[in-house]
Amino acid sequence: MPREINSVCIVGGGSAGWLTAGLIAARHGGPGGLKITLVESVRLGIIGVGEGTWPTMRHTLHKIGISETDFIRACSASFKQGAKFAGWQTGAADDFYYHPLVLPEGFPDLDLAPYWQAAGEGPNTPSFSDAVCFQEFLCENNLAPKLITSPEYAGIANYAYHLDAVRLGELLHAHCVDKLGVEHIDDDIIAVERSENGDIRAVVGQRNGAIEADLFVDCSGFSSLLLGQTLGVPFCDRSDILFIDRALAVQVPYPDADCPIVSHTVSTAQRHGWIWDIGLQHRRGVGYVYSSRHVGTDRVEEELARYVGAGFDRLESREIKIHSGHREIFWKNNCVAVGLAAGFLEPLEASALVLVELSADYIATAMPATRAGMDIVARRFNTMTRYRWDRVIEFLKLHYVLSERQDSAFWRDNRDPASIPDDLRDQLELWRHAPPGEHDFTSAHEMFPAASYQYVLYGMGFRMDDAALARRVRQPDAARDGFERTARMKQKLGATMPTNRALLGKLAEYRFQPI
Amino acid sequence: MNLVQLTRHDHAGLRIDPVRAAAAAATVHMVPLVLGEIRKLAPHFPIVLAKDGETGQFYPAALLGLEPHENLFWTGETFDAAQVPLNLLRLPFFIGDGAICIDADSPAITPDGPCAIVESDGSDSAYLRSIQAILSDLAGQQEATRRFVDALVARRLVVELTLDVAFANGAKAKLSGLYGIDEQALARDPAIMADFGDVLTPAAMVFSLDHIASLVRRKNTRLAAEAQWFGKPA
Repeated sequence: MPREINSVCIVGGGSAGWLTAGLIAARHGGPGGLKITLVESVRLGIIGVGEGTWPTMRHTLHKIGISETDFIRACSASFKQGAKFAGWQTGAADDFYYHPLVLPEGFPDLDLAPYWQAAGEGPNTPSFSDAVCFQEFLCENNLAPKLITSPEYAGIANYAYHLDAVRLGELLHAHCVDKLGVEHIDDDIIAVERSENGDIRAVVGQRNGAIEADLFVDCSGFSSLLLGQTLGVPFCDRSDILFIDRALAVQVPYPDADCPIVSHTVSTAQRHGWIWDIGLQHRRGVGYVYSSRHVGTDRVEEELARYVGAGFDRLESREIKIHSGHREIFWKNNCVAVGLAAGFLEPLEASALVLVELSADYIATAMPATRAGMDIVARRFNTMTRYRWDRVIEFLKLHYVLSERQDSAFWRDNRDPASIPDDLRDQLELWRHAPPGEHDFTSAHEMFPAASYQYVLYGMGFRMDDAALARRVRQPDAARDGFERTARMKQKLGATMPTNRALLGKLAEYRFQPI
Repeated sequence: MNLVQLTRHDHAGLRIDPVRAAAAAATVHMVPLVLGEIRKLAPHFPIVLAKDGETGQFYPAALLGLEPHENLFWTGETFDAAQVPLNLLRLPFFIGDGAICIDADSPAITPDGPCAIVESDGSDSAYLRSIQAILSDLAGQQEATRRFVDALVARRLVVELTLDVAFANGAKAKLSGLYGIDEQALARDPAIMADFGDVLTPAAMVFSLDHIASLVRRKNTRLAAEAQWFGKPA
């Protein structure tokens, strides 16, 4: 008689815990389904740093069954249409580029990159992101990606969110318990019981005693209580590639109630790292991430104060340690880790929450029926998840490798060939002669599409060699049409789209319709 | 449009030609409806749901044309339909801040208009009383209409309509932003609505879409007339 999987226990109640609970419960909860429990120590609190999402969050929330209007209201969320990278290439005042969420016009059937490069560059020629995509125009004008008449989770332009992670946890908590039948236990875990085969039999709460389950999801944050501490899965340090190991974060109030809510993440390079700037409805979240091997906290605080400007003295700053890396495997025995318990990287490109969503979604979708099946699912999950971490690490490293900044050891060390993963070096070799395309990314579990690499490469001054270029501009008419379509879209959307703040204001009163 | 509040002091001598009032809707392709008139109008117009551009909320509407600014029922002189939506009948009057207003620029205000606002004895004219009745009907049914639409949306009975129509002269039109009743969803579970009367209204909306064909016919007639006018073969 095979041992069936009938119960899941999620340990930890941050964004990772509740997103996982929501995705599993939406698929397997309810009468006759799995018994799903979430244990957390409310006393311990959560880290709650993840404030930027990917567009995947729309799909995730929809699956969990939360309305977009309720989500935006509850989490002080705003629309995010990508990221603006300022000062990353040279550090000059006019040095910036966008990584928008809308693909280049016509991509991948039409690849405008070589045509854009062939047109040459001058003071009045548009940047790559501005020439091939209308979204930078929306961002620069603080316009929203959708209308009040757009259905829930659908937009005119692709979008993600900026959100208050603590409030997201609260919203998901209420929804999971009230609507999806997840049992919530507030307790401090004092011990973990094992079975003879090494599985986790139960977590023992101070007040509730042993809480048994067939599958445990470790969402315990940096402590990695089950996978790391109990099952002894080693940590895989990646700080040899990504140097960032500290963040200094502050919450900045808006100067007045009408000031624009920026509809993209602003990432501004600094001498020893970079500053994130995320606009929520009621405040901004700003933080300086840096490498403590390269600079002391005092200098960082000084630079952060300069960035924030007047009023910085009154803000409470919070230091967060970042251990760049992940567990060697993510699912061992009957325990799978999601979120910080699985690993963490610097917040560049907002990879934290999306990895939670993808992991939780896979666990929910591939939920093994039996204990024997779990080992097979675990093997697949480990291969896939490791692939994803590697791709994210490479993509983040790309931002540093392409920089020409000379103003500190932090930037120079980042270009040390010894710190660059082989796969990334291989890609860069090929991309000298051809733009990134679908053929460079062949897994079913890719993280960033080829278009994202194009935006970063050509935004940061990387160019194809001339010989390769000449062979790749064979459809000039189609290319001209593509550039013109982008220009027309800017005109059209400029006349019709509301500002980010205006649409969010409207949402306080009206709801998006489900269709 | 120049809305001013209707007062006995300013407007006692006003005369109105109601037929010309509908000219204000000559370039309107959709008229908002209230719940009570949907079943009465469904035998004459396609009845759809549309979204208010300012609030994003659904409202029921009679479709008068197949593209924005097209009213296929307006002949140039009159509104050619056996039933007229209340929002056209009330013209040139409006409700603003709870008071009756009139569009002072309306072509319906004319000295030779057959309808007076105030009778010679100083009492409200029968015409004005009928307008008051229409306006209060429209205001009074707003809440019920909103509840009806909310119920349709909540019960997932609303679907987006995709209308691809072709005309006799080869031209095509694609209407977007229109929504209708999901006939299959309604058929699967008519008990989804609270009572039989509540089922009849969405059912009437389903059948009313047959009138899209009547709109196409009206448009073809109009195109043929225009072609004749310009001396081209239809």
